[in-house]
Amino acid sequence: MRLGRHEVVLEPRPAPPAGYAVLTAAVAILAALALASALFLSADASPAAAYRAIFSYAFLNPHGLAATVQRSIYLLFCTYAFLVPFRAGLWNIGLPGQVYAGGLAAFAVPLLVWREPTGAPSPALVIGLMVAAAAVAGATTGGIAGILRARFQVNEILVTMMLNSILFWVVAYMVKEGGPFMGATAEGESFTLPAPLRPPLWWGVPFTAVVALGAAALLDLLFARAALGYRIRAFGASPAAARYGGISPAAISLLVFLIGGALAGVAGYHTFAAIPGVHKIPGNYGYYGDLGFYGMISALIARGSALGAIPIAVLFGGLSLGARFAQGALRLPFGVDYALLGLLMMTFIGSHVLHAFRVVWRRRGTAVADAAPTGAPGT
Amino acid sequence: MWELAVRSLEVSAILLLAALGELIGQRSGVLNVGIEGLMLFGGTVAFMVTQATEQFPLGFAAALATGALLGGAHAFFSITLRGDQVVSGMGLWVLSFGLTTFLGSPYAGPLGLGRIGGLAGLPPFFLFGVLLVAAVWFLLFRTGPGLAIRSAGENPAAALAAGIPVAAIRYVCVVTGGVLGALAGAVYTLSYNPVWNYNFIMGWGFVSLALVFFSMWNPWILLAGASLFGLMWQLSLSPELVLPGILSRYVWRTLPFAITIPILVVISTPWFRARWGLAKPEALGQPDT
Repeated sequence: MRLGRHEVVLEPRPAPPAGYAVLTAAVAILAALALASALFLSADASPAAAYRAIFSYAFLNPHGLAATVQRSIYLLFCTYAFLVPFRAGLWNIGLPGQVYAGGLAAFAVPLLVWREPTGAPSPALVIGLMVAAAAVAGATTGGIAGILRARFQVNEILVTMMLNSILFWVVAYMVKEGGPFMGATAEGESFTLPAPLRPPLWWGVPFTAVVALGAAALLDLLFARAALGYRIRAFGASPAAARYGGISPAAISLLVFLIGGALAGVAGYHTFAAIPGVHKIPGNYGYYGDLGFYGMISALIARGSALGAIPIAVLFGGLSLGARFAQGALRLPFGVDYALLGLLMMTFIGSHVLHAFRVVWRRRGTAVADAAPTGAPGT
Repeated sequence: MWELAVRSLEVSAILLLAALGELIGQRSGVLNVGIEGLMLFGGTVAFMVTQATEQFPLGFAAALATGALLGGAHAFFSITLRGDQVVSGMGLWVLSFGLTTFLGSPYAGPLGLGRIGGLAGLPPFFLFGVLLVAAVWFLLFRTGPGLAIRSAGENPAAALAAGIPVAAIRYVCVVTGGVLGALAGAVYTLSYNPVWNYNFIMGWGFVSLALVFFSMWNPWILLAGASLFGLMWQLSLSPELVLPGILSRYVWRTLPFAITIPILVVISTPWFRARWGLAKPEALGQPDT
């Protein structure tokens, strides 16, 4: 951009300063919250009252806090499901579809193996099978996008999005209008899990919390220390260079989608089968699926760090729940939680620009030396 | 049957308009994966304005302005800032998905106005779409500006050296794409299904993107693809017209999406690419030097 004899340009930062990732993440989140004030004002609500309602419900109210923890676990799995392919430069926007696949597979297990009065096989075994089935189903769904990307270079964004729509209707078929999973008493939702198959709780939290935290540590270790993690990162940074370095693009594309899909499948198990008081695939399962996109934004804001995503996912879990509560309490229009998601995406892109570029202000005609054209002799 | 044909042409028109906008942008070298967002935002704003003013033209005008704004934002990020075009497009989609859910919810429900009439029994937007296909084909392949657009998408460095203002051309094309995407959304909410619901477009934006790849960046093939998909969509809504009583209606709803995946695979095979793959703009997704 030119201003008189000066010009303002954006120059790529070769290596952003340390701590900059945290700073830009904080800026993105705070800016989104500030922009959300405009939404509250447009609905004739005081932003201060709205934020007080959101945060006090999500983090201080005992019911709200318990729900925040459950939702954070769900969002964390979704975050990893997006994050692993993203480290390889691939977009897994199939989170809802993989979550549905995981939920359906988890509910298929008791239908197939659990016999009510005898209580055999042991509930622990059935629960284990449910988690495994959810992971396999999620991995299979993700794997379709992965293998098509690996084998034929089919755009993974399109395939995962098509799978979202397909799985959405498959769930409808399974739980509605006399579908195989339909509840005995309730039209439009699945059967409720028998009490012995509901996972035990410690301080109100199911075992999936431990899995989620453990997965974060494992993933960060994978990307920081393991050869496989290095290959994924190298492929993400430059597919051509990685291929030259002997890394198989096909294997990486398939693998990241299998891992990501499995994690999203476990998210489906958690949200439909493990959260106290739910234990079924509800009629509004589409809402839970779409919430998975919060995982996408928290992975982006955390810049690929799984441990770094934990506070972000907890915050987003609380915000999305608190926003629903504030909607009712302050009579705001529906969709504050989704609006916040959209604003976060916008401010993330803004912060991404600040992260990747620096603004340079200089006199015109002095620019060139450091930006020698490629292919110039001697460079 | 006639009703089915008319409705399916309306679906085709919506997909065609959105995809044609994307085709123009991609021909100039800019990928916008956020068509879904353009359609959601255009459709929601059109619905809000039309319901408030009871004037269809105002609703369409508001959608066009929204589309220009969103297209401009995508252009700024991907052309001026040379950012990653997929990041920007994804951002456009999630932003629109989130904001329209909030903005539109007070207006949820039917539009409550009469339907937009047809021309000789045919949906007017489909006829407009066909005219636009002819115009875009003529522009791209028979005029100087069209050659400039294509060269910006094939080899921006060479185009620049030949004196073609690559950045300006890309801006115009991407903003045009934004306008057409938003118009497609407005046709959905004002004509095809005038009942606002959150995330009403349900993946059609991504289908439009798939159609552009399928079309090999040729407007006439795009027209054929959009027409076929429109018919398939409408049949999936009322399968009893062809196969009464077979399979649940929910299973039929998966069909249009399930068919899209193998089509994407076929056009991605080495065999297909070797024969027809040259149509892809060489510099698609890359910033100009």
